[in-house]
Amino acid sequence: MFKQYFTIALRNILKDKIISSINFVNLIVGFVTFILISLFVYSELTWDQHNKNFEKTYRVQLFMDQADNVIHHTASITAALSRHELTTIPEIDKIALIHDVGDNNKDGVFLSLDKKDQYKIRWGYYADPSVFEIFTFSFIEGAPSKALLEPYSIVLSKSVAQKLFPNSKALGKQVYGENKVSFTVTGVFEDLPVNSSWRPYYLLPMNTFTQITGWEGYESQYRSYSFNIYVLLKPNAEPSSVDKKIYNTLEKYQKEHHPYLRHMESLHLNPFFQKDIYIILTLLSFIALLILILASVNYINLQTARSTTRLKEIGIKKTVGFSKNSLYSQFLFESIMVSFIAGLIAIIVTQLILPAFNYLIGTTGIIGVAMTSNVFSEPGLIMIVLGVSVLTGFISGLYPAYIISSFNPIKALKEKVVNNPNNGFGLKKILVTVQFTISLFLLINGFIVFRQTQFMVNGNLGFNTQNVIFANIVTNKSGSSEPLRQKLLQHPEIKDACFSDYIPFIIPGGDDLTWEGGNAEEKVFFRDYRITSDFFSTYNIPIVKGRNFSRDFPDDKEKCIINEAAARVLGWDDPIGKHLIEGNKKVEIIGVIRDYIAQSMHNPIEPHWYHIIPDSASLNGIFSVQLATDNTRKGIKIINEEFADFFPEDAFEFTHINTIIRNEAAVQAWLVIRNISVFFAILSIIISSVGLFGLVMFFVKRKMKEIGIRKVLGFSLGNLYLKLSSEFLWLLLIANLLAWPASFFIYKQLPGAHKYPIQIWEFLLGSSIIMGIAVLTISYHIIKSARTNPVDILKYE
Amino acid sequence: MIKTVNLNKVFRTEEVETTALNSLNFAVKKGEFLAIMGPSGCGKSTLLNIIGLLDTPSGGEYYFDGVDVAKYKENQRTNLRKGNIGFIFQNFNLIDELNVYENVELPLLALKVKNVERKKKVEEILERMQIGQRKLHFPQQLSGGQQQRVAVARAVITNPKLILADEPTGNLDSANGEQVMQLLEQLNAEGTTIVMVTHSPAHADRAHRIMHLFDGHIVAENKEKFFV
Repeated sequence: MFKQYFTIALRNILKDKIISSINFVNLIVGFVTFILISLFVYSELTWDQHNKNFEKTYRVQLFMDQADNVIHHTASITAALSRHELTTIPEIDKIALIHDVGDNNKDGVFLSLDKKDQYKIRWGYYADPSVFEIFTFSFIEGAPSKALLEPYSIVLSKSVAQKLFPNSKALGKQVYGENKVSFTVTGVFEDLPVNSSWRPYYLLPMNTFTQITGWEGYESQYRSYSFNIYVLLKPNAEPSSVDKKIYNTLEKYQKEHHPYLRHMESLHLNPFFQKDIYIILTLLSFIALLILILASVNYINLQTARSTTRLKEIGIKKTVGFSKNSLYSQFLFESIMVSFIAGLIAIIVTQLILPAFNYLIGTTGIIGVAMTSNVFSEPGLIMIVLGVSVLTGFISGLYPAYIISSFNPIKALKEKVVNNPNNGFGLKKILVTVQFTISLFLLINGFIVFRQTQFMVNGNLGFNTQNVIFANIVTNKSGSSEPLRQKLLQHPEIKDACFSDYIPFIIPGGDDLTWEGGNAEEKVFFRDYRITSDFFSTYNIPIVKGRNFSRDFPDDKEKCIINEAAARVLGWDDPIGKHLIEGNKKVEIIGVIRDYIAQSMHNPIEPHWYHIIPDSASLNGIFSVQLATDNTRKGIKIINEEFADFFPEDAFEFTHINTIIRNEAAVQAWLVIRNISVFFAILSIIISSVGLFGLVMFFVKRKMKEIGIRKVLGFSLGNLYLKLSSEFLWLLLIANLLAWPASFFIYKQLPGAHKYPIQIWEFLLGSSIIMGIAVLTISYHIIKSARTNPVDILKYE
Repeated sequence: MIKTVNLNKVFRTEEVETTALNSLNFAVKKGEFLAIMGPSGCGKSTLLNIIGLLDTPSGGEYYFDGVDVAKYKENQRTNLRKGNIGFIFQNFNLIDELNVYENVELPLLALKVKNVERKKKVEEILERMQIGQRKLHFPQQLSGGQQQRVAVARAVITNPKLILADEPTGNLDSANGEQVMQLLEQLNAEGTTIVMVTHSPAHADRAHRIMHLFDGHIVAENKEKFFV
């Protein structure tokens, strides 16, 4: 029996190639979308799981109670905890202290074999040897047990080792850091997977930290928060009991700081209890589901419409004694078979387009697109996809199979069932409306995400993002850098230059401050910048109250400038002359700058305070230079020459400010989301178009007789067109009423502190596109059939 | 074999009621060959559909093999029809997606006959109908006469007690029509009861008895031949 089902199904597929192709394209695109989004969401949910100790690994974080009940979480923590309090807790098995080499927020550190070929490498860390016992590293050269024991050793990732020592072993060789310090390679490890929340490119032993940074006694200082601590708990240890034990360990030093453990599974998705990535993943899963529903609805529509081509078969089968149930099984089987084949093809298609998709979303994206490049390596997923395809076929087949198997055999043999106006068309109208609604919703959401991303990348951030370049220079050269600035300014290609420890989008840590007239218990977190007086003019940040720092006022090094956000938080309309208090030190405010976006539109603007930076080139700071807008190429050349002249011993590399804006984590994440959303919006348009094409084709076929009679009676083509297309356009109107508010709801839910102002034309454009597709499809079919000779149609009927 | 008592069929729409069959009383004996004649719309096909259990009467009794089946439910009718009644149509009604062999095989599939037996029976009947060499052809590759032979093969493959033929020669030229008539006569000679609707007086003459319908009534019965 199944053989016969199979034969008839296959021959029907081959017989009506256009409709079969529409059906397959529709289902395949639906399944491909489902697979891609599943892979993406799965990869997001399984970060760090390659670590053997995943279940027992935690990062020590802390939260700070702040003014107006803001809770500020951070993973930056004091080193002393790891050397004292944590060591006394029996549940803790291993502790690893970690610190950035240089400042990883800046653009990395130069590693080289000699002074010529220097490579700027980010993501280097000082680390305790225990990191190899907590995290899973796979060593290619050397042994993890010995790699971080000796001072001045260095452990390289495979990719860094290959850069420095192409075609040869690295073990035992020398590497220079910033041309100043020499390290011995004691190990090379396989690059950690992209979906690692901590992903070092090279490691230095913690026991060399003081020698290189000059920071004495860091292991007993409780007020310096620039380290990370990871711990491995003993089997069966309760993290909550550890939390209790460490909750008040900082009470003596910073009363409002409370350390706690954060499990490794949360370090990527929401290390600090935000919901942003969850919202995005939920939205994407919802999109996957919608596209699957869309494909399924299309399939139901097409199969039901197509059933009229099977009338004779049904009539004959019923006549020779096939029961309604056996016909029902036959059509359900057919539906499942088609869907299953589409599922198989979709897996292959996904495999083929996966590299392109990975490229599109950027596998190096910070929100962690670490998708597999081989679908076949995920047997679980393949089973799920096939299961979903069978289920889709089953659900989509229920209604058409019911309709088909219920046909009266006498009418079926006369092929008369078609003319019953109530033949499921009410349900079909609902399904078409659902189809329009989903497509429109996906399209408008595509616009919204696209516009939000453009807003984040190109929106006005409140500072000069167009012609500022910067370089982070690590130098032993002492003395003022002012002569360099003066030399630069002599060139008309250079408008301004400044020196600072941090710049927009490379943000500093900060301090908890109290303020004049405030409660001593209540503190606010301020980002702490140290700058020269030219910082604001170089970045075109206006001073809205008071004045800038000035070389004419030597006392300015005891004073500060704040941003508008700070004044707002403190509730001061005129902060000039008032004081911020850090510990016991009162600092007078001399100016207020206009707020600018220092850390992407995604994040709220935090309070800042700015101080004068001591004028010394050896501070490991950032030089920023504003170029004149004409001839920037020559300006960059001059800058490089002047800097090489001034810092003959040091390596440096200038970067455009726009580069770091684009590389910022949230911006990167949004670029990924934008690409995904646009990609799926296009897919949904494809599905809708093919679905609509097929449906209208059947609809017009049903109306052939009406078209013929109307033509005989002398109706014009335009009249026919209006009459027939109005039925679909009504449904489209209802779809608008549903999709618009739904899309607006999504806009409201999107994470991010700053949103672009949504505009009505995005909705109108979405509707116009869907309407355009509908009208074009309808026009094609209607004009085609209306041009046929009415005699032929009526004779046929 | 067949007996009707006051058999009625009324078609109702919201406003109009049409009586297609009006108190028909007739019987068909086992092994008889009955021809039904009458103008278009007289109720011939409706009667055939009811006899064939494809449709139900609105009133009256319909005995098939001595059992009143007038009020049978759809699945009961399906079960009774299966294997007991064969249909032959004017427009052949072969499934376009199935080849000759598969079309003929259909009633056996409905009866869930085992594969080996099915194959044997289909081969036999195809040989008998002289279309064995075309068993892998599809309907659209055959002439009208050949298609009707396939339809006859399908109708008789289960050895039905009754064959209903609705204008079996209506779409055929005279030579092919003659062939089909000969087949029917042969089947009848072998014991199969046949009820045939036809417009052709010549073909009707070949039946044992002719029943004339007009506006849902039996208006005449000619008993031309002696029925043994």
